[in-house]
Amino acid sequence: MPEISITIQHKAGLHLRPAAMFVRTACRFVTNILVRNDTRGGDYKNAKSTLSVMQLGVNQGHSITVRADGPDAEAALEAIRHLTDSNFEDTGADMPA
Amino acid sequence: MVGIVIVSHSPLIAAGVKQLASEMAGEQLRIAAAGGVDDHTIGTSVERILEALREADGPDGVLILVDLGSAVLSAQAAIELLNEQQQAHLILSNAPLVEGAIVAAVEASIGRPLMEVNRAAEQVATLNKLG
Repeated sequence: MPEISITIQHKAGLHLRPAAMFVRTACRFVTNILVRNDTRGGDYKNAKSTLSVMQLGVNQGHSITVRADGPDAEAALEAIRHLTDSNFEDTGADMPA
Repeated sequence: MVGIVIVSHSPLIAAGVKQLASEMAGEQLRIAAAGGVDDHTIGTSVERILEALREADGPDGVLILVDLGSAVLSAQAAIELLNEQQQAHLILSNAPLVEGAIVAAVEASIGRPLMEVNRAAEQVATLNKLG
């Protein structure tokens, strides 16, 4: 199953706006996408559920693994990689985190 | 897309929760605020809730999020004034207002059905935010 590991750089971790963007990105693809917080450990959760992603408790500096197993898995992982590489397109301190 | 109505005793809270949820979910979200008796008076208004229900209404239904007490009673009173067909696609949610609105907004924006949007919003009450 294709997977990628990412370290979350956003100062708010994977909460609120970054979590929302993460889930909305995942939902653009048909593939099942799972995500795990490697820093805390624990189970893989559904990356398309806002609550599941928030429950991972991903803070700044935590590593996550994202897995996808459907027909557009590679594209989905690339989109998620792009989102996190761009630091959730964070352009200003005035955006809610 | 499921619509969302925010009912609060405070017009500022209702408007602020709407603003925050919209920021999370994008501009296409159907969300309406029903706060206060009028723009300056704390309380809840059946008329304002009905107006917000019309504003947020759509083919996929509407989730109503409330703060406490008479917000619940006013929302129930507003629902009772609608016909059965309209009532069938409304859910009055037990979710916490702010956290529930954020989760509901994101779940609605990705096209989840009304029951699922409500379930996710209600479950956010169990989220440990101190992590």
